[in-house]
Amino acid sequence: MAANFKRLMADSREMSRRSFFAMVGWGAFTVASLAALWESLNFMNLPRTALYEEPAAFKAGPPGDYGVGSTTVLTDKRVVINRDPDGFYAISLICTHLGCTPRYFNDVTSDLVAKGISGIKDPDTGLAATPANPALVGFKCPCHGSRYFRDAVNFFGPAPRPMDRIHVEVAPDGKLFVDRSVIVDRHFRLKV
Amino acid sequence: MMRLVRAAFDEIYALLAQMVSSLFRHGLPLTDKIAARTALTNFVLHIHPVRVRRSWIRMSYTLCLGGLSFFLFIVLTVTGLYLMFYYVPSTGHAFQDMRDLQFVITFGGVVRNMHRWAAHLMVITVWLHMARVFLTGSYKKPREFNWAIGTTLLLITLLLSFTGYLLPWDQLSIWAVTVGTNMARYAPIAGPFTRYLLLGGTVVGDNALLRFYVLHVVGLPLFGFLLMVVHFWRVRKDGFSGGL
Repeated sequence: MAANFKRLMADSREMSRRSFFAMVGWGAFTVASLAALWESLNFMNLPRTALYEEPAAFKAGPPGDYGVGSTTVLTDKRVVINRDPDGFYAISLICTHLGCTPRYFNDVTSDLVAKGISGIKDPDTGLAATPANPALVGFKCPCHGSRYFRDAVNFFGPAPRPMDRIHVEVAPDGKLFVDRSVIVDRHFRLKV
Repeated sequence: MMRLVRAAFDEIYALLAQMVSSLFRHGLPLTDKIAARTALTNFVLHIHPVRVRRSWIRMSYTLCLGGLSFFLFIVLTVTGLYLMFYYVPSTGHAFQDMRDLQFVITFGGVVRNMHRWAAHLMVITVWLHMARVFLTGSYKKPREFNWAIGTTLLLITLLLSFTGYLLPWDQLSIWAVTVGTNMARYAPIAGPFTRYLLLGGTVVGDNALLRFYVLHVVGLPLFGFLLMVVHFWRVRKDGFSGGL
């Protein structure tokens, strides 16, 4: 076909009507096939507006329900709400390794300390697991054993980075409003 | 009276004889020539070569691994068809349907477990088949095209296994597929889009279950079947090495 095309360019009288139409025909067939393939992909790629998933944002009750220093796991929402003396922050409870839901434990460090692993220290809070004080609260992922401190910083296992901190604010009705689709800085705190 | 019975018997016998001869066409293969023609003109027998040397079909050469894989594929197709009568691919039904199959429906547990064990075994036999083909050097020219088809069939087997894993819709299924599709997301450029396409959303939910179901019961088996047809046909066309 390419050779035919070259000859056509050189001298249109060189090409027979038959081969010209064959070229046009196969060309149209190729274009139509590619278009069909492309649109098949688009067909499978359903619009986000047709997604009947749970909304990313939800309300999590009045701030007064959360004690200072508390950790509240909203399992169905896959969100953790922490309240520290300097304010609220919310964690997206999705393991940064491969997306399972880590579980809260009162002690995620003492077995490691007992094995002689040292240097388990949260760079953000400065909390460290030492032989004198081996037990720190945090999260363990059931899938591949990644571990996180209470503030979502990873310290063990395959997780490559801390879990995402997500947007939390006080809605006009006075309740906490969490938006899982908005990732915020790890030092973000909501002061109430 | 006896003559009537005899006549009726003759009629039935003639009918049966005609059925047999229309099926096999050439009678008992008394000579090599008739045997050859029988194999050529019969759909079931034509898969075999007209002549087969004893050394070609030595069990210790192929270990029958390809044949076992195909046998398991048939078992999976049949048992899968049974399961489809009860299983509804929706998040509200799937788990309970699986439990009903296992504990309520007569022989449901047998069918489900046959499907499950055959699936595990098929992954094993297909891998071993590939290893055997590799170790006997059967991937080399002129069989390199069939090796390529075979590796695609291996991929389809694994994808069937993966898609089937989600269908019971228990904790293991959901998190396994969460993990699996997150691995797909790590692929460069097309990764996140591939995950979205596979799940039909951002989480493992109703759309994901339906998509995996359609792929599991129609898409992948159909594609696999077509490739198997070519695979077997090429085995015949490439010929046998005669057992080295």
